[in-house]
Amino acid sequence: MSENAKKDYLCEAVPAFNIATAMEEASRCLLCLDAPCSQDCPAGTNPGDFIRAIRFRNFKGAAEIIRTNNVLGGICARVCPYEVLCEKGCSRSGIDKPIQIGRLQRFATDYEKASGFQPLEKVEATKEKVAMIGSGPASLTCGAELAQKGYDVTIFEEKAIPGGVLSYGVVPARLPQYIVDEEIETIKNLGVKIECNTKIGKDKTIDALKAEGFKAFFVGAGIQAAKMLDVPGVDLDGVTNAVEYLGAAKPSNGDIDPGNKVVVIGGGDVAMDCATTARLLGAEKTMILYRRTREEAPAHKIEMSYVEELGVHFHYGFTPVEIIGENGKVTAIKGKGFRDDSIIQLECDKVVFAIGQAADESVKEIADLKFTPKNTIIADETKDCKTDIPYIFAGGDIVNGGNTVVQAVAVGKTAAESIDKYLSEEAK
Amino acid sequence: MKKRTHADLSVDFLGFKCENPFMLSSSPVAATYEMCSKFLEAGGGGVVFKTIGTYIPDECSPRFDHVRKEGQPFLGFKNMEQISDHPYEENLKFLRKLKADYPTKCLIVSIMGSNEEDWTRLAKDVTEAGADIIECNFSCPQMTQENMGSDVGANLELIEKFTKATLAGTDIPVMLKMTPNIEKMEVPATAAIKAGGHAIAAINTIKSITHIDLDQMTALPVVNGKSSISGYSGAAAKPIALRFIANMKQDEYLKDIPISGIGGIETWEDCAEFISLGCTNLQFTTSIMQYGYRIVEDMISGLSIWMEEKGYKSINDFCGKALQNIVPAEDLERDFKVYPQIDYDKCVGCGRCYVSCFDGAHQAITWDPENRKVEIDEDKCVGCQLCLHVCPVANCITPGKVVFKPQDQFGKGSEAVYAEDVPCKRDIIVGQYDE
Repeated sequence: MSENAKKDYLCEAVPAFNIATAMEEASRCLLCLDAPCSQDCPAGTNPGDFIRAIRFRNFKGAAEIIRTNNVLGGICARVCPYEVLCEKGCSRSGIDKPIQIGRLQRFATDYEKASGFQPLEKVEATKEKVAMIGSGPASLTCGAELAQKGYDVTIFEEKAIPGGVLSYGVVPARLPQYIVDEEIETIKNLGVKIECNTKIGKDKTIDALKAEGFKAFFVGAGIQAAKMLDVPGVDLDGVTNAVEYLGAAKPSNGDIDPGNKVVVIGGGDVAMDCATTARLLGAEKTMILYRRTREEAPAHKIEMSYVEELGVHFHYGFTPVEIIGENGKVTAIKGKGFRDDSIIQLECDKVVFAIGQAADESVKEIADLKFTPKNTIIADETKDCKTDIPYIFAGGDIVNGGNTVVQAVAVGKTAAESIDKYLSEEAK
Repeated sequence: MKKRTHADLSVDFLGFKCENPFMLSSSPVAATYEMCSKFLEAGGGGVVFKTIGTYIPDECSPRFDHVRKEGQPFLGFKNMEQISDHPYEENLKFLRKLKADYPTKCLIVSIMGSNEEDWTRLAKDVTEAGADIIECNFSCPQMTQENMGSDVGANLELIEKFTKATLAGTDIPVMLKMTPNIEKMEVPATAAIKAGGHAIAAINTIKSITHIDLDQMTALPVVNGKSSISGYSGAAAKPIALRFIANMKQDEYLKDIPISGIGGIETWEDCAEFISLGCTNLQFTTSIMQYGYRIVEDMISGLSIWMEEKGYKSINDFCGKALQNIVPAEDLERDFKVYPQIDYDKCVGCGRCYVSCFDGAHQAITWDPENRKVEIDEDKCVGCQLCLHVCPVANCITPGKVVFKPQDQFGKGSEAVYAEDVPCKRDIIVGQYDE
């Protein structure tokens, strides 16, 4: 068993830099002209500037550079797929290997927290009331940006704790809950209010909110309906999905029965998080069943390598055809070759489907918007996040069908600009 | 998102209200209008325009070298350049345009003549072109002509003569830039002030040989088989600059004379250190040559954030504050020692502290080869803390227990009371944060 596997479920897998190691890494940075890293972040982060700040021992200034662009900088530092974003174009690769930009961003934001430095100015809410529906990264970012522009922002969340996928999805080994809590606290300190256990369309309607004085709405409700395969045995006890599995594990600090022999179906980052959860919570054997090859898997290779190091068995090229059970409980899963006629049968007591998520039917209760056949909202989140109702904006997974956290941050910023423009010009 | 504003960095220097004390020093980095303009746009408070003389020097090629240790380049930098190589009229044009386009930025102009008439004429012309302050270059160590550069800074008679000649040509403040290639800078500085000068700029570069090319048997840089002794600057010069400045600021005659600090400034912390010794103006070149004008952004950001946290509302609130604590060696307390303490959770078992303590100190660390474990032998430890300086792990060896030396035969040493924590490693002071 590798060292990583012994790590506690709640402990971050990648160790943090301290001042000495951060300085060492920042000294490797070539401080390029027109830094390529600063051109590859969907959210507009400027690593060229914040790494230079670290290099010149301006650690708080580095945090200020990060936060003024991205209020969720500490979260993105942990969950971003840097190897395909900022680190991809790093000039240092021409000498040896790229700068560890994510870890330096984490150092700067950790330093900020540890020193009590507050980079952002709270702006008094003097403008209109705006509601965020859902509290994932897109809504949090949009809400914080609008509060900084002087709007009176309230976030409505149907679950008991805010954060969406950050609190109910991403495994603590990648993103500990205390980091999520701290960043949400920062957003609250900027004046954003958060009401949990409030599902818009059920507990409260948009019309009621309009009557309370809300002038604009951002729908960042995310996608929570787990996709399942229609195979025999899918209703057996022990068969679950990623949304339920991760969503039970993280908020309870891992207080779930992870299963003993666990098969995770899927090849994305969510499947990797499920396998990590199973392994770190003590499953004796964890397996991943994925229909295509390692190269074709959508999961980021860093995550796959980490999961492999944990001792998870990967079975590539198989798709499930039947789940076998005894006395109503799962005992094995049978797969068949996706591109040939091979057969595989894996003994297990837990099957976790992590083959993607879809928008929940209930999103239609929020408002009479235009939806795709897949229940996602029609809006152009690369432009202005506008829906066909002028005062309702939408973005994040509920529009794009599922993307990264940093993409949600980018959308949150776009939506905030668009809402500000709408309220300050178009609605007047 | 909206960032908070931090402390105000504006400071008065010789009657000019500078938005911050950060200036390019007189060198290749401040040689044209465009260069100075780019720095001012990046946020600099002003520039010291490259030394203008009455002739154009003939420069050699190559003309630079740098000192590295292990992987780190630019620990020290050597240059063989002289004064501006632009035509006189062109330089005056640059100055006029700089003052016209940046009236709120401080325009200091460095000049160097070879006789009194030169100095007077230069002073008059740059004043008319818009200089706010004149800096007399008494200190360039690689001039090819006599009675110029550091020859002047070491000659009290020339200092007096040329300072007076400069003042005869102008009514704006005159600052004298001193050479460190002497023992006591207070002496020439006093002569310059007594002759009517208003401020001191220190230090210029240190005479040096950085490397010998062992194939060609000459120094670097090699100019067709030969080389020369010339000026050394950069991070390695900072400790030398700080000591000259402290000496002048502690001198009874000079203590209230404004000083523009120069020598190895790269970070906001370097800036804060020069200010804490009494400087109200700061100049730098080598770090700009290595990294570009953009580094002034982190000086501005870092210093203003730090001042805000310390509660300093202005530069003057901490200017010179460290001087009172820099005392003659005989005045230091010597009746206690501070033992190092080892954090075994952090120790990686490299044994470097053992090697240095045995070979370079007092054989006060023991080594258990079986477990790769070091231990401090308090009977032998003198509290020199060499181990702390060589330890490669952040905050692994830190200052620990303070003990008082046994009373000596004169009965001294046991009465003093001393604070428990004696921080002496920068990372401990600056960043309490550690993993």
